[in-house]
Amino acid sequence: MVFLQQVINGLAQGGIYALIAIGWTTVFGIVGVMNWTHGEIYMLGAYAGYFLTTMGLPMVPALLLSMAVGSLIAMAVDHFGYRPLRKAGTLATSGFITALGLSTFLRYTANAVFTVNPRAYPELVEYRLITLFTFKGQAITISSMHLMILIGTVIIMIILELFIRKTLVGKAMLAASQDMQTLGLMGADSEKLIKITFAISGALGAAAGFFIGTIYSINPMMGALAGLKGWSCAILGGIGSITGSLVGGILLGIAENLTAGFISTGYKDAIGFVIMILVLIIRPTGFMGYKFEEKV
Amino acid sequence: MPEPMLKVENLHVHYGNIHALKGLSIEVEEGEIVSLIGANGAGKTTLLTTIMNQVTPTEGEVTFLGLSTRGKTPAAIVQAGMTMVPEGRRVFPRTSVIDNMRLGGYFRKDKAEMKRDMEKLFSMFPRLFERKNQLAGTLSGGEQQMLAIARALMSRPRLLLLDEPSMGLAPIIVDQVFDTIRSINEEGTTVMLVEQNANQALRIASRGYVIETGEVVLADDADKLLSNTQVKEAYLGG
Repeated sequence: MVFLQQVINGLAQGGIYALIAIGWTTVFGIVGVMNWTHGEIYMLGAYAGYFLTTMGLPMVPALLLSMAVGSLIAMAVDHFGYRPLRKAGTLATSGFITALGLSTFLRYTANAVFTVNPRAYPELVEYRLITLFTFKGQAITISSMHLMILIGTVIIMIILELFIRKTLVGKAMLAASQDMQTLGLMGADSEKLIKITFAISGALGAAAGFFIGTIYSINPMMGALAGLKGWSCAILGGIGSITGSLVGGILLGIAENLTAGFISTGYKDAIGFVIMILVLIIRPTGFMGYKFEEKV
Repeated sequence: MPEPMLKVENLHVHYGNIHALKGLSIEVEEGEIVSLIGANGAGKTTLLTTIMNQVTPTEGEVTFLGLSTRGKTPAAIVQAGMTMVPEGRRVFPRTSVIDNMRLGGYFRKDKAEMKRDMEKLFSMFPRLFERKNQLAGTLSGGEQQMLAIARALMSRPRLLLLDEPSMGLAPIIVDQVFDTIRSINEEGTTVMLVEQNANQALRIASRGYVIETGEVVLADDADKLLSNTQVKEAYLGG
């Protein structure tokens, strides 16, 4: 019973992790950079949502606007941070440290502007406990906020999946993650694809930040751990795989809640990294990582 | 005499300290098949990737259809009508056969024409049609080569560069690949071919170049190269 309830509680958190992880994995797969600013985009998305909702904007428009803000910031990060390195051909060597520097810059600028004091969103959905089903006479419930997050996450994932599978631009993104150079031989403008990739990644990160803001208070440091966890979900699922990130996120969300419920809340944040290390030892390509034999 | 379709003049490429191309010049006339032969490491692949601007030359000029390609992205060159089937085929393994082909014409706006082109290519490569929904990574080597060629043709090139299309394929499949190249040429696409399989490459070509350590050492009609004693000894197995 408690077990089932913890699993349900973990789902919404898992959805949020999945959104962060997908943003990581798409950028890494296509641009080849570990974009450490991703956690900060999540944080800034949460702040955008905070200001928009306290101004009185309803939830859906506030969410969409926050996602747009996330897109713009991510595109700016690429334009001013990574693009010059790409042009100079040094992204592989300097991309990582640039990413860390930008991440620190964004985090502490936010700290200076927004102050360290945590802030809380106004109540967007009336708090209620909804009974999902009864199991052996006991009600398994989910809060209205968590349910809303879950639904929102699923909708975003479906739209993303349709975009990737059904549109030519989406297919080109998938192809770019396999072989960007060859995609250039199809007449595809790689810079344009990279812009789209960052826009999507930023929107997903900001959506995750918005969702977390509806259940927890936000602060300028929140991106550090969340970004790291998102990355470990991406590895868990298999780098470059969107479905893998989804599975990885949900698994981590559930694992954290089970750890908090059955072991100790103190170990909650550690469990994700323990799982990540185990996965890397047992199955280095992640759950859904692809392995194709090279045919020569 | 009309301007050649592709003119490569005095091309130099350096990889760090390695001087890969040393003032190489070649020409391709519209309508012909030109074969470049040479041993491993002679600079054949470097030449093609430099023509496509995937590699930037240190010196020299590439002119396609009368326009310099200097500073253009590979994508812009493809849109101008020249594309390359890269070494090792490089199909997108996790993408279906039909989507590989669609991506081949990524920049094209004429959707109806594209559909017709795809049907034409599928009738030319029935194996690809049979497997159109399969992931390209599950195809055999020969099928992947056919897919790489079909994908390149989706961009409607006027000049098609092929880098070692016979690499790693069974002899019977190699014959098919060369037949295909010949029929593509007969349909009006100019072809430049880089090959280690000198015999077959010269047999379908009108002219050929022999490249050694980054330089053209011989240039002649293909049939003359085939009977040239030097070429015979070095590349045709005596």
